Amino acid sequence: MKKEKEKGSKRFVYTAIAGSVVLMIVLTLSTLWASRKTVSSTDEAVAAVSSFYLEAMADQRAQTITNLINSNFEHMEKALDVIEEEQVESQEDLRRLLGEIKRLLSLQRFALVDTDNVVYTQYTTYSGGSRYDFLQAKELQGNVISTINMYGSSKQLCLAIPVKGLTIMGKPVKACFVQIDIREIADLLAFEDDGRTYFGLYAENGGNLTDTDLGQIISGENFLKGTKDYLSQESWQRVSSDFAEGKSGSVTLNAGGMMEALCYTSVPYTGWMMAVLIRESIIEEQIHGISDNNRLTSRMLILVTLITVLAFASVLILQLRKTSTIKLEAEKATSRLFQSMANIDSMTGIRNKHAYSEYERMLNSKIQEGDLGGKLAVLVCDINGLKYVNDTLGHAAGDQLIKDASNLLCEYFDHGAVFRVGGDEFTIILHDKGFERMDEDLAAINRVIEDNITKEKVVVSIGHSVLREDDKQIKDAFERADQMMYERKQELKAMGAKTRES
Amino acid sequence: MFFGVKKIRKAAFLAAAVAVIAISQAGCATESVTQSALPKEDKPPSPVVSAVDFEHELDSYVPKKDEYNFYFTYKIVHPWWDAVALGMEDAQRQYLERGVTVTYEYMAPSEASAEDQKERLSLLEPDDYDVVGVDVADDAIISPVLDEMMDEGFKIMTFSSSDASEGCKRIAYVGNTHNYQDGADLTEALCEKLGYKGKVAILVGSKGAPCHEDRARGAKDTIAKYTDMEIVAVEYDMDSIDKAYDLTLGIIKDHPDLDGIICCNMSNPVGAARAITEKGSSAVIVGMDHDKEALRYLNDGIIYCLGVQDCYSIGFDTIQVAVKIADGNPPGVLYPDKANEITTIIYQEDAAMMLKLLYGDIL
Repeated sequence: MKKEKEKGSKRFVYTAIAGSVVLMIVLTLSTLWASRKTVSSTDEAVAAVSSFYLEAMADQRAQTITNLINSNFEHMEKALDVIEEEQVESQEDLRRLLGEIKRLLSLQRFALVDTDNVVYTQYTTYSGGSRYDFLQAKELQGNVISTINMYGSSKQLCLAIPVKGLTIMGKPVKACFVQIDIREIADLLAFEDDGRTYFGLYAENGGNLTDTDLGQIISGENFLKGTKDYLSQESWQRVSSDFAEGKSGSVTLNAGGMMEALCYTSVPYTGWMMAVLIRESIIEEQIHGISDNNRLTSRMLILVTLITVLAFASVLILQLRKTSTIKLEAEKATSRLFQSMANIDSMTGIRNKHAYSEYERMLNSKIQEGDLGGKLAVLVCDINGLKYVNDTLGHAAGDQLIKDASNLLCEYFDHGAVFRVGGDEFTIILHDKGFERMDEDLAAINRVIEDNITKEKVVVSIGHSVLREDDKQIKDAFERADQMMYERKQELKAMGAKTRES
Repeated sequence: MFFGVKKIRKAAFLAAAVAVIAISQAGCATESVTQSALPKEDKPPSPVVSAVDFEHELDSYVPKKDEYNFYFTYKIVHPWWDAVALGMEDAQRQYLERGVTVTYEYMAPSEASAEDQKERLSLLEPDDYDVVGVDVADDAIISPVLDEMMDEGFKIMTFSSSDASEGCKRIAYVGNTHNYQDGADLTEALCEKLGYKGKVAILVGSKGAPCHEDRARGAKDTIAKYTDMEIVAVEYDMDSIDKAYDLTLGIIKDHPDLDGIICCNMSNPVGAARAITEKGSSAVIVGMDHDKEALRYLNDGIIYCLGVQDCYSIGFDTIQVAVKIADGNPPGVLYPDKANEITTIIYQEDAAMMLKLLYGDIL
């Protein structure tokens, strides 16, 4: 039974260890798998994020240009309101007024055009018929947005609105316009981002409006010409077609192994295309940085889990061992208790007949082996008048009498082995020191017993016999002592001690 | 920042610098400073990187006043003079940055007319303008007018491509001083291309316009050097592309075996190229200036070569000289009587770069 319990405990420990190991393996493998899955998902996400990011940037910048255009149109309308209220009688008056309006409304070249296509600005008055295409018409049909090439010096956005009913120095005014250097628009749209992104403004034929480089692979040249070597024929034709039709799109360029994400969108009303470019490795670096952190966190998690599981397993094993030990000890104690209960007389607390039998068997073995080691005596004791007490005073008094007898015997033969072997019978084995004191102790106890007769206290008849050399077993001495006990009982009766009958 | 906005400008500046060095080393210190990169025997024409300098800075002269007001008039409303205007505006901006306000009028008729120019000048008052600049429409008609104005107290300068007659009292001239040589150089290139043999026509701009007449003269004198070359027609388009086209059609009709056409102004080569293309003629065209359509014809091989004047520099220098004249400085130390501006002959291989430089590769 005990062995089965130990086996069960071991099985539990082994199962716990094996479970922990399996748990750790599963955890580790799942984390590694999740980590790899994250990396591959990251790569897939980079392209999508690049495109999305660039699209948002392009749209945002295109919207800024649209806002700029709208605000300039509004400013021109306000400017015309101001001019209509002013008395302009000379070239000087007009120049001063135009200068004031430019300053107040933060306009760049702000000009009025009369019906002879003479252009009036703050500092110059010039014939502008060949300089501005929108002046070819006799009158403007609405707001005009055009791109002007100032030969090699710059390219400018020109915004014009028709003017009616305004006369300056006797000349009807035909139009009003502002010119904005496209490079200044580009500066407005640029922001510092450590060169991570690039953008450029282009005409629908790919012509570069700002003479700027788009990243490291497309220099300040025609966009379509610059991208031709980095795109497949099909992709390039799609981009060219998108440019011609003013459609948005995105492509990925492979420039010497470096992947560049490129997004383009039309800038409303201008006929321009805006291209935004970012190196995918920049986004990869950003996202992989996060990925690496996640992987590091996962590894740390694995390590912590591993340590936790190991610690848990260790504690579990120690706890199991401790529990087993406690159980074992408890079982031993129980065993001892059961053994004790089997050998102890419950009423008196001294050893019982079962114990005496084992003890006698052990002594007999030694006698037979000649290994007894010293002299031994057997004392046979019997309580006088127990039946009488039971019958007259009740069993409780009888039990007390037994306890008194036991206490008395144990008191005087404290170096001997005292056994209750029957209802009112005790056997005492004296050995070594107990044997040496036997005569002295017998004399003392018999005096007490004899005194007890008159005191009506416990009276015990004691017979004794020393184990002789020719005795084969304890029983031999026991019988002699028993005989002597009966004789003593008679003596005590004669002294007045109670008998079974009295 | 990732914007190299000055790249093109710097390239142009460097190219112009190279061109200037090339001129000086070639020993062109005479009246003509034309950089005629003429092709040598069995050698392709030397590539001309750039003919226009957009990178200018005012010299160290300190103006005596804070404000100047000028009046300029030129032959005709035309893109060529728009390029001159850009150079003028650049100078005006730079003076403004130095605290000097320069204002001016820059006016022209929609059709070339010496009488219109005369009338415009007659409306001016000496006190209204510090300097009056004139791109002479017809030297015979305008030069006396300028002399009268000088007598009235006007400070007169001439500019752009046409100076007044020799002996005119005008103070100085800024512009092309070598129109005759330009005509001669273009014609020389044509003669070489034709193997110094063939029939050619000359298209001229406005009658009496000094620059056009001088170029035509240079062309005629060059043709005269070669006995196997013959001039079959000389016509004036009055600075009209449509008229140049019509005239060319007529010349081709009259001379189906025409070998070449010499064009003396900006509209001539455009009209001639349109007609040549339409009729499938093999006539070789040489001409002047940087019209966008002409440059495309050059790029396509329809036009053989073009003489490109540095209009931007002409405009820039005109304002600088005008300020010095306004301050009462005579020509000599601070500015020359005639400021030299270069003309560069460009060929087919240079056309794309010139188109991009001037027109920015936009539609």
